[in-house]
Amino acid sequence: MNKRLSQQIAFIIFKLFGVLVVAILISILGFIIVNGISVINWEFLTAFPEEGMTTGGIFPAIVGTLYLIIGSLLFAFPLGVMSAIYTHEYAGKGWIVKTIRMMTNNLASIPSIVFGLFGMALFVNKLNFGDSIIAGSLTLGLLALPVIIRTTEEALKAVPNTYREASLALGATKLQTIKKVVIPAAMPNIITGLILSIGRVSGETAPILFTVAAYLLPQLPTGIFDQAMALPYHLYVLATSGTDLEASRPMAYGTALVLIMIVLTMNLLASFMRRKLEKKRSK
Amino acid sequence: MIEAKNINFYYGDFHALKNISIAIKPNTVTAFIGPSGCGKSTFLRLFNRMNDLIENTRLSGECLIEGKNIYDKSVDIDALRKRVGMVFQKPNPFPKSIFENVAYGLRVNDMGNKQFIQQRVEESLKGAALWDEVKDKLHKSAYELSGGQQQRLCIARALAVAPSVILMDEPASALDPISTSKIEELIHELKQQYTIVIVTHNMQQAARVSDNTGFFMHGELVEYSDTKKMFLNPNKESTQNYITGRFG
Repeated sequence: MNKRLSQQIAFIIFKLFGVLVVAILISILGFIIVNGISVINWEFLTAFPEEGMTTGGIFPAIVGTLYLIIGSLLFAFPLGVMSAIYTHEYAGKGWIVKTIRMMTNNLASIPSIVFGLFGMALFVNKLNFGDSIIAGSLTLGLLALPVIIRTTEEALKAVPNTYREASLALGATKLQTIKKVVIPAAMPNIITGLILSIGRVSGETAPILFTVAAYLLPQLPTGIFDQAMALPYHLYVLATSGTDLEASRPMAYGTALVLIMIVLTMNLLASFMRRKLEKKRSK
Repeated sequence: MIEAKNINFYYGDFHALKNISIAIKPNTVTAFIGPSGCGKSTFLRLFNRMNDLIENTRLSGECLIEGKNIYDKSVDIDALRKRVGMVFQKPNPFPKSIFENVAYGLRVNDMGNKQFIQQRVEESLKGAALWDEVKDKLHKSAYELSGGQQQRLCIARALAVAPSVILMDEPASALDPISTSKIEELIHELKQQYTIVIVTHNMQQAARVSDNTGFFMHGELVEYSDTKKMFLNPNKESTQNYITGRFG
């Protein structure tokens, strides 16, 4: 077989696989939309579940998930960004950094159910928070931490060293250099890390299972020590342990659709912010 | 007055600068020439302690600026770098506006109020012969400027904090001939007020802009003298060979 022909065949195969990936994604999305769109209406988004979760809405689960996203990132974002700044900008190349980096990578590979178990042992029982938004947020935050640390480190790595040199050569301190030059330049990429972790946090079920998630609540949580419902767990409940599974199936698809929409909206919002920052940066 | 005495510098085990001593007079332009890897940039970066940023290096000897050893423990490095400005090989403006680039050094060193900063930015841009080209777009990104303009912006940025010495590390090597000649003219102007030390690959440039020239090879300062003498009648054969283009 001649070289050009084998190249063409290879590219066709690569292209097919590429198209296949897109097709898989579209069919999942399509499946959820087709099955879920019929139940989506204003009531579904703003009402509590009714009649054994076969009618009504999923309002408390939406609110709960938003609380958990905000709570976990309030904890994980500053911690992750600061730790990445330390390892990348201050710590040099010694064994401490190597250890921190290795631990971060290991943290990322721990199965999420183990985080759930750990969160239950530490936050729920040991620190006596009980099943609560704060316990769930901290547990989800732990899960998001390695993602934020790694993307922040990558973002800092992408800032040219010449910026740092130029700033230091003008008599700026290292901290000033980091605050005024390095972080602004890295911000768009750090925001990307935030996007990724929002996606991760909002979809996880295992970490909230033992730390916050409620089967059904008659009212919205009023404080951080209250339990909350959450979309992924609610979806699980609707699909496996409702009173009438057949009747609650459309509700399950609707919940899945809302969950996907929240993640997509967050992503769009964050990438809009990112573009805006990039524009401002180059002004 | 800059004075280096018996400078030895090591990158790990590599002996990069070998027992170098030199004295540089105020308000002169001194050029360092020599083949790649000869240590001229390393030597330049000693004077604002930029080599401190590189790990696993070692220095012995004394480096005096205005009579004070800048490697003394009591020296405030940030204050030193404010007095000894630097212009780098590639133009490296911050991803900020033209105005903010020049104002940066004033802001980080807490120099003056808004009005003072405004005035100082204008003076510095004029000092770097860039004002007329940018006065109508001070708040546009520095990256909208051409390479040569960016480099003059970097010079303006260095001038803003009122240094007494300006170090230039091959400031024109990434620029076209017209931009290069603008930078050279500028160096002539700046000599009135600043002591300038410039590293260059370009021997004609050294001959054009400098009062004194130091020739480096293999980490040694082979010859250091008046530029005219250096180019017309050097003492050492290796200097002669280098400037006549027999190697390097």
